[in-house]
Amino acid sequence: MSKKPAPQPALHKVIMVGDGGVGKSALTLQFMYDEFVEDYEPTKADSYRKKVILDGEEVQIDILDTAGQEDYAAIRDNYFRSGEGFLCVFSITDEESFQATQEFREQILRVKNDENIPFLLVGNKGDLDEKRKVTLNEAQSRAQQWGVPYVETSAKTRENVDKVFFDLMREIRSRKMEDNKISNGRGKDKSKRKKLKCTIL
Amino acid sequence: MPSPVVTGVSPKEGPPGTRVTIRGENLGTKQNDILGVEICGCDCTLSTEWKSPNKIIARSGPGKGRGQIVITTSSGGRGSCTVEFRGYFERIGPLKESAVWVEEASPIGPGPWSKGTTFHMEDPLGLSVEADDTKKLPEDDLQDLFPGCNGDLSSEQFSPGWFLLQHHQSTSFDDLRVGLAYLKRKVDGHKEGQLSFLKGNVSSVMEQLEVLEALQAAFQKDIDDFGNDKTGKIVDAIMKSKEEGRVLFDGVLKGKEKADRTRNALGVLQRFRFLFTLPAAIDRSMQRSDYDAIISDYSRANNLFGKTEVNLFKQVLAEVKLKVIEIKSVLKTKLHTMPTTLEAQKKIIRNLVQLEYEGDPGWEAINVHVRYINGQLNDCYKFHMANLEKLGSPDPKSKGKRDKNLEKQNSVTERVDCIEDLCDIISLLLPELWSLGQSYFSGDLYMKPDQNKLAEFKSNTLACISEMCRLVRTSVGQGKSPLVGWFPHCLQCLRAVASQLSQIPHDPLTALIHHFRMECVKSVLVNAAEQVKELAEKENWSQVHEPSYGLITQLPGQFKNVVETAVTTLKESALQKEAKEAELFDSDPLQKEAGHLVLGIFNNYIQVIDQLSANGEEEQMSFSVSQMGATTFRQNQTSLSWEEKLLSCICNVKYSEETVLPGLCTSATAAGLPPLEWVLREAVGALGGLRSRLEFMYIEAKSDPLVGTIEPSMYIGYFDWDEDLPPKSVRPYANEIIANLIGVHAQLERSCNWMKDSALTQIVETVTEEVSRLILCAARMSHEGAMQANLDIAALKYALARYTSENSQRFLAEALEAIPPLDNAKQKKVQELFENYKTRMHLQLYAFTQKR
Repeated sequence: MSKKPAPQPALHKVIMVGDGGVGKSALTLQFMYDEFVEDYEPTKADSYRKKVILDGEEVQIDILDTAGQEDYAAIRDNYFRSGEGFLCVFSITDEESFQATQEFREQILRVKNDENIPFLLVGNKGDLDEKRKVTLNEAQSRAQQWGVPYVETSAKTRENVDKVFFDLMREIRSRKMEDNKISNGRGKDKSKRKKLKCTIL
Repeated sequence: MPSPVVTGVSPKEGPPGTRVTIRGENLGTKQNDILGVEICGCDCTLSTEWKSPNKIIARSGPGKGRGQIVITTSSGGRGSCTVEFRGYFERIGPLKESAVWVEEASPIGPGPWSKGTTFHMEDPLGLSVEADDTKKLPEDDLQDLFPGCNGDLSSEQFSPGWFLLQHHQSTSFDDLRVGLAYLKRKVDGHKEGQLSFLKGNVSSVMEQLEVLEALQAAFQKDIDDFGNDKTGKIVDAIMKSKEEGRVLFDGVLKGKEKADRTRNALGVLQRFRFLFTLPAAIDRSMQRSDYDAIISDYSRANNLFGKTEVNLFKQVLAEVKLKVIEIKSVLKTKLHTMPTTLEAQKKIIRNLVQLEYEGDPGWEAINVHVRYINGQLNDCYKFHMANLEKLGSPDPKSKGKRDKNLEKQNSVTERVDCIEDLCDIISLLLPELWSLGQSYFSGDLYMKPDQNKLAEFKSNTLACISEMCRLVRTSVGQGKSPLVGWFPHCLQCLRAVASQLSQIPHDPLTALIHHFRMECVKSVLVNAAEQVKELAEKENWSQVHEPSYGLITQLPGQFKNVVETAVTTLKESALQKEAKEAELFDSDPLQKEAGHLVLGIFNNYIQVIDQLSANGEEEQMSFSVSQMGATTFRQNQTSLSWEEKLLSCICNVKYSEETVLPGLCTSATAAGLPPLEWVLREAVGALGGLRSRLEFMYIEAKSDPLVGTIEPSMYIGYFDWDEDLPPKSVRPYANEIIANLIGVHAQLERSCNWMKDSALTQIVETVTEEVSRLILCAARMSHEGAMQANLDIAALKYALARYTSENSQRFLAEALEAIPPLDNAKQKKVQELFENYKTRMHLQLYAFTQKR
């Protein structure tokens, strides 16, 4: 793609992960189309892509909205492989979904084999504070333990929705620049770059 | 309006018919605005449902693989797409992971089909069903409270208490009252229901009544027209048609019966024809050697006509049987014809068994094989022996003799060929015999094997091998085997056979191989001994300086090569122990024998050296006295004098003694020959003897002419010890002695340094003895003569000091005693002359004084 004469905007691949019913699709649809979907329909795997302006630069965001249900656990590995950044969503009203983030994190690290993969822990359904089961502290300490940011959102009120996507894209972008720097500094060969990447990490 | 853009798809993949939610921008203003929806190139417009300008829903078509979603609207035209949909065809097998949930429980039971669930759906009290299952009373408790009852509304044993406890345990009293009111209303409604139903449907009820009346009228009319019995006529008609049908079918059935009979008759005829043509058919098959066809025909004929009473048939059958007997004999001859392949033989055996051959074809085949192998072996042997005869050495004893003419060579190759062919025959044929035997005894040959014959079979097999071994042994020839040098090759052949027959017991062969290994060792060693003998002729006397041994010739090296080649040959053939082969030198006598063979080689070598050293003795006879001590004497043929050769021989002996032989013994033992310490001891002893003999010979050869010249030289020019001439210097004879000794020294120094001291000492001893004898013999001696003698002896003593033994000293002392004593002045004069001499001879004597 990069060989095309007209420079295609950079593409950042984001993957939504998290337990079933925590609002991954709701966040995605809110971000993409500013709409809040009330009725719940389990997702299998949805794909979205649009152009956005990230810090004055036009980029493309590709969102893969995955299935949270355990039934689809086996095919997750495949999806994760293509992701450059992950939004790990749980519902602050559902303790179990918070526990599940641990498994998702582990699976992503296993598939990507990269401790520093761009990753955000997202506590959704922030508007339902009266039904909160997961305290802010709990979530923050887990995020700290993983070394990732924690953000609470509400797909209903659109609170922090843009923030999580843009924050993640920024991380992906800086990460790519870092990689490029390494590869430019040490050699232009693509395979070499890959090798170097491995040794650095 | 801008063109539509698809930015989202849910789900992003699925089989045909998947409900796909498509999101994006400007996806039409209303349902009719959408002109086309394409998913993966498939038109899905018909299934499209417009929801909003941002969202439409369509079902995917039979597109396969990744593809775009393209929306065309009348308001925005053909759109673009940033996402992809992947269509795939799902095939769900038992092992395929799939998202389809399979209900494994029986559909009858709790589910929408069972009775019980209706209560959950609609409560008779009109109250909401309690959702929380945990608060419900267990079934067992209810059973205890209301024995013999249940909460099933449709049951005879319905108990209201049960029902309430089960479903409304935690419902409040007020709610229950409301429920009761609801139930009452419902029941009342039911009671009033019938009347109101009629009221509501008066017209249709009336209609029904009218129809019923019309029906009754029509029925009445029928009774009037046809009477009460309305079916009689029909029964008659049915019976009639039945009759008619039977008539019709009789013909068909008869026809069928006839056809069957004809067919049967044809079949019988066919069978008869088969029988009558059978003899001819058998003949035809015979010509084609298609025995299987004959056998199947024969067994068929036996089945069909075996128990016939008809004479004609019997006759034909007898004819067929005669043919079969003929076939049997043909097959038998075939079975007995060799060579043939195992497969063909097995087939013949099978055919014979099928033809109920009386006897044991398998066993016969085995015997034929055995006979054939033996025959082949003997034929081969005879053929080669006849060739051998033709080659024209009818006297077997002459074969033992060593001659290298072509004829001899041919006879050897003939024998080797014979052994090779024997090996080939056995390794080719015996495995076949063995496998035939194996199939026979394991019952693979279509018949019950006679296990009693197993031992016989084994002994026959062994006999074949033994025969082969016997022939090989005889082919080798008697006496001193002519196959020297070919043994390793023959051994290789035999070993190849042994490995071929590894599955088959082959003890005689093992023994033969052992014998051959032994023969091989013998022949190679004997051969080596012969070669060593020939070394004498190869000696070219080119000398090489070997540190600490002097000038040696090529002989020790050549000898070493010969023996080492022999040892290597042995190591690669006989001494190499193959699997299952016994230790070669397992007994003392054998070890001794091998040792003797090696010793033979060594002894030959010693003889060779001896022979070489003796070569020049004839020439020595012509060794002229006048040239005594001259080491420059040259033979015409070689550049070396006999003395030099002798010295080289001595060096060779010493070199062999100390280096070559121990090395050879070590390498021989390492190669697998038995320990050879005693052989080495013996050989070294013999070499030592030879060496001292040669040394003695050399000293003898050197000192004899030397000593012989002293007397003539002493009295040369009519010298007399009694003369009055005052001595001027040391006399020539003494100088000559010294000069000669210097010559010997030079020769030894050059070619045999280590022997220098002992040889010179011994020569000096004889020389001094002669001088002393001569001086003692001087009848009278003047003062001047005494001075001269003193001077000469002093000069000799001084010059030869290094090589003067006690004996020599004694001889010189005796000579001095015999000389008349001198006065001081004369002694002084002698001393003066001696000092003079010392200075003059300093350079000549440098060799003697040089440090060792």
